[in-house]
Amino acid sequence: MVLKLRLSRVSTPGGARRHHPCYNVVLAHARTARDSKPLEVLGTYNPIPELPVGAEPGARKQKEIKIDVSRARYWLGVGAQPSDTVWRLLSMIGLLEPRYLPTGPQTEKALKAVRFPTHKTAESSQNNGSVTKAIRAKQAKSQNVA
Amino acid sequence: MFDWLKRGPGRNLRDPLADSTNYLSAYDKEGRLRRAQNVDLKKYRESAAAATNGPRPLSTAEKKAEDAMIAQENADGITDDEKAANALQRAQLRARGSAEEISLPRERSGDLRPYPMNEHFRSQSVLSEELREQIYQQVAVVGLGVDTVASSFGVDMRRVAAVVRLKTIEKQWVGQGKSLAKPYNDAVLAMLPKTEYSPTRVTPHESINDLPVHPRTRNQLFYPTSESRHFTREDAAKAFDPKLLPADKRIPLPVLVKLEKWNLENLPREERQRRLREDDLAERTAQLAKEEKKAAWEARTQRVVPGRRWDFKFQDISAEKVGKDGRGRDAVGYRYGMPHEDRKRGLIKIPTSVE
Repeated sequence: MVLKLRLSRVSTPGGARRHHPCYNVVLAHARTARDSKPLEVLGTYNPIPELPVGAEPGARKQKEIKIDVSRARYWLGVGAQPSDTVWRLLSMIGLLEPRYLPTGPQTEKALKAVRFPTHKTAESSQNNGSVTKAIRAKQAKSQNVA
Repeated sequence: MFDWLKRGPGRNLRDPLADSTNYLSAYDKEGRLRRAQNVDLKKYRESAAAATNGPRPLSTAEKKAEDAMIAQENADGITDDEKAANALQRAQLRARGSAEEISLPRERSGDLRPYPMNEHFRSQSVLSEELREQIYQQVAVVGLGVDTVASSFGVDMRRVAAVVRLKTIEKQWVGQGKSLAKPYNDAVLAMLPKTEYSPTRVTPHESINDLPVHPRTRNQLFYPTSESRHFTREDAAKAFDPKLLPADKRIPLPVLVKLEKWNLENLPREERQRRLREDDLAERTAQLAKEEKKAAWEARTQRVVPGRRWDFKFQDISAEKVGKDGRGRDAVGYRYGMPHEDRKRGLIKIPTSVE
């Protein structure tokens, strides 16, 4: 079964409301219902741009995305398929190549022409946990032996 | 009435004392100033008049000393500005010295009753012109925070903010050439007790007892609680409103409490000042460290990606906070299939901890 990274519409904290969408970023089997219980909740996405708390009057609105970056990278690494929207969001923090560019669909040429500042992998979003370190150490060791 | 005016307390009001409120309650039935039984008022009036009429002529000894100082300054080769400042300082010192020869004691609280029939109304001090100027300078020119200035001058934060606003408007008006109601201001200030500014010591302007009444605490509340429970102020605050801070944390100037405690411990002045400085420094470094930590956390976990019409703010979270049963309270994300189980049989709801 295909695993998908996709959005799942959930009710707002005060109860479900029209025109007030709220999404969880979830990992689920592709053929399950959109709002059914997922395998894992990776984060949330608020598609309504809002002024940050305590912002100056002229500040720009923000869409707030909370996501476990290392978990998302892991699931992408083992072959989970992101939906278009999730692909767009994850490409903003450099987990994926952008699928669609302002100029059109992604091609080698188009990718070369455009360089997103965020396209580089952010240092913070690199996984530096103990498990990753152990795996890296093991890989280095095996290479040395060979 | 004429008797009262000629021989009674009324005779004092024909020629009011300078630097005194001149409330009737400050005089006894014969018209003597209660707090100055040992002071010769006639002499005091003369010296006060001399002080207001400008510097008195120098005596020969003072003149000699002054000439020697000027010669010394000329020899040292300091600038004219510094010379002028030094001369002013010496003049002030001399004026203070002469005023101290005859001075009135401070008004006691019994002297501060403007309405003799109203026992309980005591006139409260207002900020002196000099103190207000100092507060404005510290906030607007030096750039210190309002809270820092409030605690260092012993003045409520809201009062500091008001002083800064009004002073700003005053300076703006002076700049525009508008006329100020200065005589009125001076007349009112001359009649009221004042908190004076002193560069060496802090006179707290606010009362140590004042606690602003929070609107949430205005309604009468019957809160049933177990007899064995230790019901503290924290609990009381929570009973009024879950977000209300306890009374101990809503004190406008906690530094006054600290000062009073040290006073009761009979600490010497240097020790008190040292502790105050240390506490200030510790507070400021803690605040800075907190801000730095927050900034570092934001730099580590947050990314703002600019878009065409709005920005996207990414926050790195940990999805593992849901715990083993997937029901973690502080986990991010809206959860699925999570009924409140507080009505279920066998689930004990007695609180396990009391604050």
